Amino acid sequence: MNRRAILGPLAILAVWAADACTSSPGAVPAKSEVQPPSEIVAFKVLYRENCAGCHGEDGKGGAASALANPVLLAIADDSVIRRTTAQGVAGTSMPAFAQSAGGMLTDRQIDSLVEGIRSWANPDALGGIVPPPFRAQTPGDPQRGADVFRTYCSSCHGADGRGGKKASSVVNGSYLALVSEQHLRTIVIAGLPELGAPDWRDDVPGHPMSEQEISDVVAWLSSQRPQFPGQPYPLPADRAEGEHR
Amino acid sequence: MRLIDRLGQWFNLRLPLGDPLQETMKHLVPRKSASWFYVFGSAALTVFLLQVVTGILLALIYVPSAGEAWNSLQTLNQGVSLGWFIRALHGWGSNFMVAIVLLHMVQVFLFGAYKFPRELTWIVGVFLLLMTLAMAFSGQVLRFDQDAYWGLGIGASIASRVPVIGPWSVQLMLGGPIIAGATLTRFFALHVFLIPGLLIAFVGVHLLMVLKLGINEWPMPGRIVRRSSYLQEYRELTHQQGVPFVPDALWKDILFSGFILVLIAGCAAYFGPFGPGGQPDPRIIQTAPRPDFFFLWLYALLSFLPPAAETPIMLLGPAIALTVLLILPLVAGEGEKSWRRRPIAVLSVLLIAVALGTMTRLGEYTPWSPVMNAWSGLPIPPEYLHGATSLERQGALVFQAKQCHNCHSLKGQGGQRGPALDRVALRLTHDQLIRQVIQGGGNMPAYAKNLTPAETTALVAFLETLHPPNQTPAVNASRAVALHIDAQTNSSPIRGDR
Repeated sequence: MNRRAILGPLAILAVWAADACTSSPGAVPAKSEVQPPSEIVAFKVLYRENCAGCHGEDGKGGAASALANPVLLAIADDSVIRRTTAQGVAGTSMPAFAQSAGGMLTDRQIDSLVEGIRSWANPDALGGIVPPPFRAQTPGDPQRGADVFRTYCSSCHGADGRGGKKASSVVNGSYLALVSEQHLRTIVIAGLPELGAPDWRDDVPGHPMSEQEISDVVAWLSSQRPQFPGQPYPLPADRAEGEHR
Repeated sequence: MRLIDRLGQWFNLRLPLGDPLQETMKHLVPRKSASWFYVFGSAALTVFLLQVVTGILLALIYVPSAGEAWNSLQTLNQGVSLGWFIRALHGWGSNFMVAIVLLHMVQVFLFGAYKFPRELTWIVGVFLLLMTLAMAFSGQVLRFDQDAYWGLGIGASIASRVPVIGPWSVQLMLGGPIIAGATLTRFFALHVFLIPGLLIAFVGVHLLMVLKLGINEWPMPGRIVRRSSYLQEYRELTHQQGVPFVPDALWKDILFSGFILVLIAGCAAYFGPFGPGGQPDPRIIQTAPRPDFFFLWLYALLSFLPPAAETPIMLLGPAIALTVLLILPLVAGEGEKSWRRRPIAVLSVLLIAVALGTMTRLGEYTPWSPVMNAWSGLPIPPEYLHGATSLERQGALVFQAKQCHNCHSLKGQGGQRGPALDRVALRLTHDQLIRQVIQGGGNMPAYAKNLTPAETTALVAFLETLHPPNQTPAVNASRAVALHIDAQTNSSPIRGDR
């Protein structure tokens, strides 16, 4: 009787301990060894460590334009995403990530990023509408662009682009100095859905911008770049003349 | 029964251990010393035995070669059933051993147990502490992951600062000019043969002295230790109120040791083994190596030392500490034992404990070190971008791309080298922000050469948004004049034009 009273709980304890050994929280899961950084190809890890800082977790909510924008992904093909990731965009805050361009990522890792970003695309995003091409096919005309801006953009960005109630200035010299012409074009076409900026179809509802109009308005914005951007105080009147608008 | 008796007699005749064993078991212990305060020494011995057993088990699989060591730990972790548990036991055992040895030391110090005639016991104990730490360090090296590799690098660079014999001692430690296979086999020999051998010998001497001299009596305020009369007094005390070691004192030792073993097993099962971290490849620069728990305080201390103070403190500090520990029983061998009458002793222990605790805490979150991947991995909190203008968003990008986030935190995320910037607009005006960014100062590098005027303007525009919504940012009174702000419209040409 006494012996049973001791042996019973002991047996239960032993079984429990044996079970706990295989499933205890400290057990090392398979495939858990630390990989050398250059061999990590999991998109989630790569994106979190290299892209999320600016483009936001899951491709939105960051300070840079959202990557998880179906319209953006419909106009930008894999080669565009790969080149931008690998080589960066000179003159902007987008750095080059490929080892060949001074970054830390191997070509395989960049392929994984391209693939992962592509997975956010929605093939039916445009419902069969053919979007304007990613790169400008025809040179824009800044003169006509000013009219285009008044038609499509001024309701939010103000008549002269200095900002209105719904959106901020897009002719600020420092802003224009920090973005590329292609970036302006991409935003005009794809919009910034998170910030409420519509894509090229809905700037004026029911009246999509034509390819030429897009090129023109980008040319006008570009022409607003001052020669000496980023002056904290106005330059003296004699120097300011002609140097910045 | 009679067979056992006869067997025992047969052995005792040829190996006469029976009497000393019986003497040991029955030796008298002062009744009050059979206390819960006197269990740390035996617990340290128990953990040491655990380390020996688990160490032998690990040595069955471990391969002490630079190419294979890391892989053999992976095999132990995943290929050998319960291999991870043995590794975890050994790793947690080392943590517990360092902790218990330190506790034992504090208890001995506070209870005056190092005084006459136990001075040599203390001195041997100091060497045991050094060996325990040497075991901890060499064990961390055997893991041969990135932490081990860079930890060795730090150890070697400390050794290289020793005058005259520095370069030679680095050669001796690493087995050559670089950390390589020879280094690992060297540390394997240290960790598996040399130091454990010494440890066993010193533990034996230590124990022998405890048995021969008797356990320290419970210190009573006012009972003064004198060389002339102490031995007589101790004999009388143990005879009047002594209890035999077995079982009166031993059961507490056994119970506490068992409790510690259960704790170690619990930690091992719950938290698992330590590492191995990344492979020890010096080409991998995306790494933030950090020593194991018991050396974190040293890591923090070395990080905070001003460069000019490094060599003297690194070399003289340990020498002074060791000298103090070794001569302590020789200069303070007599007198009061009770900690109630030794305020300086108590304060010293508290000071050292607080200092080590603080340093360990700092070592855990390394506020001196930039978080090198914060700029690419930690987004700016989305609420800080809410309603931001296009310029301010570009400024946030400059903030990330120029890696401000690595040193400055936003919402508690990011580096802590520089101040947190969540409310920076309340502290600095527009002009002060520009000056700080361009010229640096107060430990911040100057960024004028790395930022265009447009980038600076955008960055400062973003920084000016960093303030609580119900508080207005700092403003220079002269700014309105300089900008020719029209008081009527209150609009600045800056916002729209530039």
